[in-house]
Amino acid sequence: MNLSVRKIVISGILGAIAILLGVTRLGFIPVPTPAGHATIMHIPVILGGVLEGPVVGLITGAIFGLFSFLQPGAPFFADPLVSIFPRLFIGVVSYFVYFLSKKALYLTARPALSTGPGEDASPGSTRPISKLSRILPCLFAGAFGSATNTILVMSMITWRGYLPSEVSISIGVLHGVPELIVAAILTVILVQGIQRIRPSED
Amino acid sequence: MELTKNITLGVYLPGKSSIHNLDPRTKIITATIMIVLLLISRSYAAFALSALFVGFLITLSGVPAGYAMRGLKPMLPVLAIMWVFQLFLFKAPDTTIYFHWWIFEATAAGLHMGNLIILRVLFLFTVTTFLTLTTSVVSLTDGLESLLKPLRAIGIPSQELVMTLVIALRFVLILAEELEKIIKAQMARGVAFDRGNFIQKTRKIFPVFLPLFIGAFKRAEELIVAMDARSYTGGKGRTKMKTLHMGRVDLEAAAAMIVYGGLLIYIIIFTEPMI
Repeated sequence: MNLSVRKIVISGILGAIAILLGVTRLGFIPVPTPAGHATIMHIPVILGGVLEGPVVGLITGAIFGLFSFLQPGAPFFADPLVSIFPRLFIGVVSYFVYFLSKKALYLTARPALSTGPGEDASPGSTRPISKLSRILPCLFAGAFGSATNTILVMSMITWRGYLPSEVSISIGVLHGVPELIVAAILTVILVQGIQRIRPSED
Repeated sequence: MELTKNITLGVYLPGKSSIHNLDPRTKIITATIMIVLLLISRSYAAFALSALFVGFLITLSGVPAGYAMRGLKPMLPVLAIMWVFQLFLFKAPDTTIYFHWWIFEATAAGLHMGNLIILRVLFLFTVTTFLTLTTSVVSLTDGLESLLKPLRAIGIPSQELVMTLVIALRFVLILAEELEKIIKAQMARGVAFDRGNFIQKTRKIFPVFLPLFIGAFKRAEELIVAMDARSYTGGKGRTKMKTLHMGRVDLEAAAAMIVYGGLLIYIIIFTEPMI
């Protein structure tokens, strides 16, 4: 496997943002629950998956996981099975959700939009792309990426015996839902913003 | 609003102590072994021994202990809440019940579980912060690259991954300064970050996140051009101007580590675990 300079740099900088959100506590949103906060530290990982593909998503997730293991924000994360393992999947899931929903949207939009036979519906075509089909894949990617984080982390916490399952489920719902909403909205906004300043490919 | 004040990860404090002079590989291996040992430690005696050893290392290195622990400060309230959480919610069969009210029970098992995970967090934090405080990023890179080189044989681009990790560490402080500027700029425009309910507070994150990410991606594009212009190629065929050498200090460190590790494993095997 070879890593391009682009992949190395983007993973590194997104990893830095994840770490930064952790050390400054900016990545924690106060939520009125016993555990005290929801997290948005996984947003850079979702962005890595959406903007640069599964490999960057995986590496950024690993950096985020490694950091939350070595400098844990909550005590359960001092266990690599809770902190590192679940985070490897966030970016990968986000990428596939983004990729597949984008494909599905282009395909459903095809009959209305196609101008002639033999024209493909890939993002590379010059056909105007509706705003909704730009936004929806990001929204889904953010939501699924966030859900991956919540579900896997809470499952691991329960499986490792740190919290009984009823408590895990209630924390998962109380934190997971606001996290999911914030992550989905932020993914949409950030992807739109970042794509404007990036060297264009599609 | 001083964000950079409490960041100690990725900061290097230059010095001339024997800890600073160790080969980075020795430090990385030692830190990894310590982390593994701490993860399997389950008794107060084991943590007491580790505290002595870590204290000894910090004294030897001349790093001010208060500075090393500064990064912990923003974490303390969360740790306290989690400790209470464990105390009341951790369930174990036949344990002493200290206190009972409604559905809440403070048990001996809960107390020990709370203590155990808090101690783990404190040690993990101290060991990793101490490693980056006494090792410059350059030598950390050299050490990690040299240790992970064998992974190339199974197709893992270890040098590139180390480079990624180093970029992440380097950029934490740079982005922290940028973040501070953004927050101050938004405050100057009248955004009150500490006021409002959950939804209002969440909405105030947006005008901080967007400039932060855009700024970060601009820097990323610049760095990509800079690295490409210098023909960065990752691991293949790269040589080093300074090669790493192990010396007498490293031997002494290994000896100290063997004594500590041996004692700790003895304690782990033969003392009663707290939970």
